[in-house]
Amino acid sequence: MAHSKIRIPFRVSILLLFGFVLLSLQLMSSATQESSELGEIYSWLLVINTIGSVILLGLVIINAYSLVRELRKKEAGSRLTTRMISLFVLLALAPAAIVFYFSVQFLHQGIDSWFNVEIDRAMDDALELSQSSLAQRMNWHIKQTRQMSAKLQNLPEASIPLELGNLSTESEAIEIAVFSSQGHILASSSSNPSDILPHLPDEQIWLQLRQNKAYFAYEAVENDEMVARIIEPIPDTQNLFLQVLYPLPMRISDLSDSIEFAFIRFQEMTFLRDSLKTSFSLILLLVLLLSLLAAIWVAFVSIRNIVAPVKDLVKGTQAVAEGDYQQQLPVTNQDDLGFLVESFNQMTRRIARSRDETRIAGLEVENQRAYLETILANLTAGVISFDANFYIRTANQAAYRILHIPVSHFVGQTLLNLAVKHHELAEILVAIQRLLEQADDIWEQRIVFLGPNGRQELLCRGTPLFSQMGERIGAIVVFDDVTDLIQAQKNAAWGEVARRLAHEIKNPLTPIQLSAERLQHKLAKELPEASAEFLHRGTKTIVQQVEAMKRMVDDFSEYARPSKKQVERINLQDLIQEVLALYMHSNVLFHCQFSEGNTVVEVDPVSIRQVLHNLIKNALEATSAGKCQIEIKTSHVNRNNTEYVELGIYDNGSGLHADQIETIFEPYVTSKSKGTGLGLAIVKKIIEEHGGVIWVDTSYNAGAGFVIQLPALN
Amino acid sequence: MLLISWCCPVLANQFGVKVRHVKLVDNDQGYRVDAEIDYQLSPLAREALEKGVPLSWNVRVEIRRPGLLWTPVIYKQKLRYTLQYHALLKQYEVKAPDNHLEMFLTLNAALNFMSIPKQNELIDKQLIAPEQRYQLAIRSQFHRESLPAPLRPFAYLNQQWFLSSPWFIWPIQK
Repeated sequence: MAHSKIRIPFRVSILLLFGFVLLSLQLMSSATQESSELGEIYSWLLVINTIGSVILLGLVIINAYSLVRELRKKEAGSRLTTRMISLFVLLALAPAAIVFYFSVQFLHQGIDSWFNVEIDRAMDDALELSQSSLAQRMNWHIKQTRQMSAKLQNLPEASIPLELGNLSTESEAIEIAVFSSQGHILASSSSNPSDILPHLPDEQIWLQLRQNKAYFAYEAVENDEMVARIIEPIPDTQNLFLQVLYPLPMRISDLSDSIEFAFIRFQEMTFLRDSLKTSFSLILLLVLLLSLLAAIWVAFVSIRNIVAPVKDLVKGTQAVAEGDYQQQLPVTNQDDLGFLVESFNQMTRRIARSRDETRIAGLEVENQRAYLETILANLTAGVISFDANFYIRTANQAAYRILHIPVSHFVGQTLLNLAVKHHELAEILVAIQRLLEQADDIWEQRIVFLGPNGRQELLCRGTPLFSQMGERIGAIVVFDDVTDLIQAQKNAAWGEVARRLAHEIKNPLTPIQLSAERLQHKLAKELPEASAEFLHRGTKTIVQQVEAMKRMVDDFSEYARPSKKQVERINLQDLIQEVLALYMHSNVLFHCQFSEGNTVVEVDPVSIRQVLHNLIKNALEATSAGKCQIEIKTSHVNRNNTEYVELGIYDNGSGLHADQIETIFEPYVTSKSKGTGLGLAIVKKIIEEHGGVIWVDTSYNAGAGFVIQLPALN
Repeated sequence: MLLISWCCPVLANQFGVKVRHVKLVDNDQGYRVDAEIDYQLSPLAREALEKGVPLSWNVRVEIRRPGLLWTPVIYKQKLRYTLQYHALLKQYEVKAPDNHLEMFLTLNAALNFMSIPKQNELIDKQLIAPEQRYQLAIRSQFHRESLPAPLRPFAYLNQQWFLSSPWFIWPIQK
């Protein structure tokens, strides 16, 4: 169920507040008037106004505290609010304080001006004059009364009423009475026939009468009429008193009342002089406080309402600065600020739309870039791109695989920087750098270098990049490792040579051998002994050389013939131990360092035995007899995320010349006087047929060192 | 003045209003309250009086029936006395509860007159049951609100205007 709130509009509530404040102050002002009926609630009004001031002060303090907290938190709009409120308070407080100060001054001076010595003296004199006049009149009436009392002296009680009638007629008295000290009335006479009973003295008068034996005073009787009451004892009687009431003439009575009223009023004002000043100052202060505090509180509320859209705008701007473009601010007023807020909303909408379009375009570009990177990464050819100053911009995975250098780690550097840190590739890197700098068009070159895996041959293609304006913006180098391709071509060529040798040479060898043997068989008996001996040596030489040529051709055939491997899982270290056992009685000293890692490989044991025999044989032939020492190491390595078993064979022989290293694995390359030069070529062929690599360890200088890596079997 | 009253407790003790005694007198027609209240004016109040400011007291008389939880008031009466000085006649005027004016030559005489409250009406005997316990309470309360308006705020703050007596409670003897 939806709740509906009755909400008083802000402007109406402000008008009500100010109306209440004005009404309260007006009531309090009226209450200070003596004639006002509101005088009875003056204190309550004072208390209510004070409580109102305290409440307003509390509201102002709460708002000020809240504002200070916002300032400390550096909330949006707090500084603007503070500035506006400070300005308002200053503008409101300064004139109000000035008005208050001068009003109080004026008030005090005004009250002081009511009183001066002359008026005070005049009031005292007037009162004294009135008192003298009344006293003189009283003395006259006392004298009259005593004369009446003397006339009543020695009169019998029965004659007293008659005498009182005469006295009443002769005098101005309104009432004459004779009573005893016990209060018994003996006789009385009144000018007013309706007054049957005389105005007898009350207890207070009796008290004074007993003390002073006489009484005279002015007092009020019915209708607040002032009379002079005089009581005198009647001489020579037993405690009889004569009471005479004389009227005070109306004119004298009015004048006396007027003078007394004015005097009392003046005395009261003199007494209340300080209280009046303080009281009026207090009311003025309350007026000031109520008005000012109400105005400040309303200022707080109004300024907060005014600043609210600005605060929203600041928050919205901060959100936009932080990248949140979904901010839509509420438009509360159709004024300038409302227009500003609406414009802000339009701006954020447009920015959000542009941001989305840019993001989509960026995503497309990123996808394209990722696609290109994927292609480049999966290319078998190494690709390195350069900027206009030949600094490396990108390099793909294949570049690392071919060069064995993490080229992508050198982005922003030149190939020369790369060469400094990788001396083994300095030559090729410097060569490519020179080509990049010099070439104005596409270039292609084969570069041979000795990599960590032995001799490598790269086919490099460089392409300078130009902008549409014709400016050089960089270059790209694509290179491929053609070592295996070249080797395959060479192997194919040697295979063809072997096939031809077998066909063209081996076939005639058998008739030559048979013919030589027939010559020996036929002619040996027929020739003289010397000639027969010569023939025998000749035919023997022919047969031996034919046999040698047959072996050579067989070797070639074997080298060129595709291998027929029978692979099985073996531990390479066990195989090495088996082979070394065959050399137990030889003069070779073996030093073996076998690692504890996995050295299981899947190979043809016969072929690998041949490899080991060839390498050990080479070492034996390269050293003088009895001094051959061979060091054999095995280890488990990881290269290009592939596990390998590495076998190193190092001898202490004469070693290899630098110019031999590049071609040592090619057929017919040998440093020995005897030999076909096929030993290492066959070794390399077998190793490569097993998916491994072999290279000369150029860092070993004490002899020849060969490193073989075979794929490890997990 | 405030300072004087706060700094001089001796002075403060020399004025005030006290109920001397109170009792309920059984008349034939009803009960009458017989009490004596001692009025001692402070110098400030005396000065105000002589400057023409009228002073008023409300003498409150109550008969209460004490209970366990609360004490109901079964009878109450308010007697207003107003004391004023007449400079012309140099007399003090006391306006009694029955609006009767009494003039006195001295202040003491006027205060003595006020010290014995005079009831206009007797208390009905039916109000007081014989088997119940009752209390007679009386106090004289200075009526600050009858002072001139400018003087009222200070009358609530200045001890010299603290001219009311506390409640004087006396068990009613039957």
